[in-house]
Amino acid sequence: MTTKRISPELFNKLVGLAALELTAEESAYLFEELNHQLTSVEALSQIPLPEGIEPSLHGLDCQGLPPRLDQWRPFPNPEAIITLAPETEDGMIAVPDVKGVK
Amino acid sequence: MKDYEVIIGLETHIQLNTRTKIFCSCKADSWEAAPNTNICPVCSGLPGVLPVLNAEAVRKGAILAAAMHAHINPKSYFDRKNYFYPDLPKGYQISQFDEPIGKGGYMDLPMENGETRRVRIHNLHLEEDAGKTKTEHGMRLLDFNRCGVPLVEMVTEPDLRSGDEAAQYLVRLRQLLRWIGVSEADMERGHLRCDANVSIRERGSTVLNTKTEIKNVNSIDSVRQAIGEEAKRQIELVESGGKVESFTLDWDADRGKLSKMRSKETEADYRYFREPDLLPVILTAEEVEEIHAGLPELPLARRARFEQDYQLSGYDAEILTGERSLSDYYEAAVQAYGGEAKVVANWMMNDLSRLLNDQGKTAEQLTLKPENLSEIIRMVDEGKINAATGKSLLKKVEETGKSPAAIVEEEGLGLVADSGALRAQIEAILASAPDEVANFRSGKESLLGWFVGQVMRGSGGKADPKRTREILLEMLNKH
Amino acid sequence: MTLTQLSAFETAQKVRTGEVKAIEMVQAALNQIKNVDGVSGSLEPGNLSPEEEQKVHAFIQVTEDLALSQAEKVDQMVTNGEDPGLLAGVPLSVKDIFCVEGTNTTAASKIIANFVPPYTATTVKRLTEAGALVLGKVNLDEFTFGSSNESSAFQPSTNNPWHTDFVPGGSSGGSAASVAAQEVALSLGTDTGGSIRQPAAFCGVVGLKPSYGRVSRLGLIAFASSLDCPGPLARDVRDTALMLQVMAGNDPKDSTSSTKPVDNYLAALEKDVKGLRIGLSPDYEALYYPDMESGELHSEPIQKEVHDVVMQAAEWLAKAGAEIIENVPMSNTRYGIPTYFVISRVEAASNLHRFDGVKYGYRTPENVGDLIELYRRSRAEGFGLEPKLRILMGMYVSAAEHASAYYQKALKVRSLIRNDFDQAFDRGGDYRLDALLTPTTATTAFKRKSVYGNSVLMQYSDQMTVASNHAGVPALTLPGGLDKNGLPIGIQLIGNDFREELILRIGHAYEQLTADEAWRQVRPQVLQGEVKA
Repeated sequence: MTTKRISPELFNKLVGLAALELTAEESAYLFEELNHQLTSVEALSQIPLPEGIEPSLHGLDCQGLPPRLDQWRPFPNPEAIITLAPETEDGMIAVPDVKGVK
Repeated sequence: MKDYEVIIGLETHIQLNTRTKIFCSCKADSWEAAPNTNICPVCSGLPGVLPVLNAEAVRKGAILAAAMHAHINPKSYFDRKNYFYPDLPKGYQISQFDEPIGKGGYMDLPMENGETRRVRIHNLHLEEDAGKTKTEHGMRLLDFNRCGVPLVEMVTEPDLRSGDEAAQYLVRLRQLLRWIGVSEADMERGHLRCDANVSIRERGSTVLNTKTEIKNVNSIDSVRQAIGEEAKRQIELVESGGKVESFTLDWDADRGKLSKMRSKETEADYRYFREPDLLPVILTAEEVEEIHAGLPELPLARRARFEQDYQLSGYDAEILTGERSLSDYYEAAVQAYGGEAKVVANWMMNDLSRLLNDQGKTAEQLTLKPENLSEIIRMVDEGKINAATGKSLLKKVEETGKSPAAIVEEEGLGLVADSGALRAQIEAILASAPDEVANFRSGKESLLGWFVGQVMRGSGGKADPKRTREILLEMLNKH
Repeated sequence: MTLTQLSAFETAQKVRTGEVKAIEMVQAALNQIKNVDGVSGSLEPGNLSPEEEQKVHAFIQVTEDLALSQAEKVDQMVTNGEDPGLLAGVPLSVKDIFCVEGTNTTAASKIIANFVPPYTATTVKRLTEAGALVLGKVNLDEFTFGSSNESSAFQPSTNNPWHTDFVPGGSSGGSAASVAAQEVALSLGTDTGGSIRQPAAFCGVVGLKPSYGRVSRLGLIAFASSLDCPGPLARDVRDTALMLQVMAGNDPKDSTSSTKPVDNYLAALEKDVKGLRIGLSPDYEALYYPDMESGELHSEPIQKEVHDVVMQAAEWLAKAGAEIIENVPMSNTRYGIPTYFVISRVEAASNLHRFDGVKYGYRTPENVGDLIELYRRSRAEGFGLEPKLRILMGMYVSAAEHASAYYQKALKVRSLIRNDFDQAFDRGGDYRLDALLTPTTATTAFKRKSVYGNSVLMQYSDQMTVASNHAGVPALTLPGGLDKNGLPIGIQLIGNDFREELILRIGHAYEQLTADEAWRQVRPQVLQGEVKA
């Protein structure tokens, strides 16, 4: 048995936060794999960091354009976006309400 | 009952008046657009799209930070705030977190008792707005037009002490936003939205007790009323031995009632992390300098200066600095007039403000320029026209665009001050009223007004009243 | 030589001069696809015949009409005497993670199996504007999450054209296989931790991960936004350079896209390697992985044949006048995978938030009366196991209480990895490298179903490639030989920021030097029986 890095309770909480549901079989597999991966990730805790090292966000120093000008360029086909939705009503995307919340 | 004080912090969302959205080139304003017609793949969160930051949103955010006396961050970052909500098409909001564009800052509120309440700013950051949802027959209908509209979220420290103060803060904030030109600040249109955090404590205590959050207090009256209601509820609860619980309340402005939305459990974890699709926002020292240099004199400073320099009452100075273009107009008129500033203030407070109301314009939109106003006042001062004519001239100049002098000339509105003509007219009037003359001469001096009235009527209002009086006295007393 | 054997460079020349028509190129490619590809990947594959088991299955969708209409346009331009572009008439496959307007874009996932984007990725736009013909969308691991192609929701997943019992690698497996099997000359792939280079190595083709920001990400359905790089797969270095030439350059719609001017990559190929400093590192000779019980890091030498091929390549280059610098320390390479487990998952979990059954793609057909239920059901039914695993991992390591131990720490280790490259390439440093020469993978292709399911082992197949993603530097893989089973071995050249021209130049020189080697004459299994060039 592998050392468990996270408990089944925490695992189930994560599943909820991730807006997922798992079958028992999926849950057993993913729980095991997640713990395996965390074993690998634990290696990070062993790495000594030199004083003052900064986090790296993109690896290399990105030299992009400055922020864009405030110019209106309408997308020519907004209705094509809404027609992608599984359900619409009056040009709006329709979803069921959230129960128990006003 | 113990003596309680109410502790209030406000969280405001300010819609910046840029032309386009913060991360895409759709129009920022969708007020008149049908649902989902002002959207693109970026703001509707299609797979594969990337945000591109609008420079104008950054600039306006920085101007607001400067106006709030906040430190402008030379390098700020956007982060992702992750949560599921149907009006949030990407499943995360691009927002600023630990390195926002503005840090610290404050606003000084003048209070009724003459003191000043300093309201400190806890956080001032840029973010994108979410879409709108409406609920109908158990369904939620989503409109993404508002997704990506640039917002500044500004959160105060718990420095406010009553619903009135909170309302006052919003009034001052709205004035400032319009003054510096970063937002239309129209609360009805959601340009300025407000949530209020309310708690109570015994006066003298320094602890912060459990607070509740009131959502959607989106008018000045709502803020005042909702906070009042909630403070009352908390005090009654505590007085009856209860305990304030942390939850979120919804303010129903129509019914004037608070209702509980949900219990606030532990603070939600949004798993913030740096938005990898954007680079840090850099403002150079020169750009920051430029923003500070370009900042206009702010309303409260100007109000104080008006009181000082122009000897205006607090009330007059307040009205004349209510709106930036009005105060600019006033100063320009004072300058052009050259005489007593108070006189110009009187004209503006009464006649010009009536004109603005009638025309539905702001001061800067008037055809009647400050120089025209000062010319009119000067003509009245110099006796070239009477005050009534001056007043009527305001509207005439506004409608025709002609100069006041030209209108006076054309319409023959100038006062008759020529002694010869006036004398002849007065002689005729005296001759036609021998009884009144006799009565006056026998001591009924109050009849002077009656004679002046006769002369004015006879001249169609054009007789110079001062001169008329002089000649009348001279002739009546001369026997 | 048949049309499908032509390189992209040759094709464009012939099409531009009118010697070959673009429409003929489409027909030849369609014919080749028909012969070698077999059924396209689908959500409901049914049982495969033994014959189908031997096919490549690179494609999810063959876009015949699109290719034909693009070919017509190219031919019309040639007739009119207009310039049809650098890639005129070149058959191209596109990894099905790039949006193409009006064309199904699935990410190999059920959750957007029916998604038809209303816009086109910048890369695809630039390629087609240069005259390339999109023959279809090719298979990949679901959302690019894998190294074997097997996690695709569209089955059968792609097989290795060199031996169909083996995986093509991943996630750009369909890209690599379609190029190796001569179905197309070029393929557009993506590389987040090795997703271009590992399958290119497994399939015996050339693949380039450009510098981060060299090629626009707009229209690439994001996996890990700070690591993702679109890039070319081709059969030789010149084609790779040509394709990069067309795609590279700033895109105002991608804020992280670089404004640096684009070099002339084709011209760079003319130069030799004399005096170039090419490094070898002991840190690319072994695989480091944790013991699942103790968490202790163990090491194991990489496959000997792979190591030997890298050493031989160094000798070839030395003979051509390059200076080989040994023992270049790249000591943080071993932390590449744990760092990647954290950074890529945090970004992936967030990037997958938008797939929620609301706006596009899959929504649970069940009549759920509650929005939260709709999210959960749609995501549970729409995502495969690998995305679910990555989401859970990402949620865990970015949770407020763990972020500093995991996510923030990983970003700092990323800096350490970056520092290794800075020191190796530093012009005033000890090593002053022009390129680092390494294996692309620790092993050659593995058998189907032999690793799939073991998510940790699968991830470690990226250990030789992932460091350059962390550092943002460009890396090229190219064929360097065959192992005893006749499976291709890839060698990798890693360059400094935006120095694609240097690694392409070295790679091209290596190709020329080894042109007559016996292994170069061997052809993939699925092409055997055809007339040899």
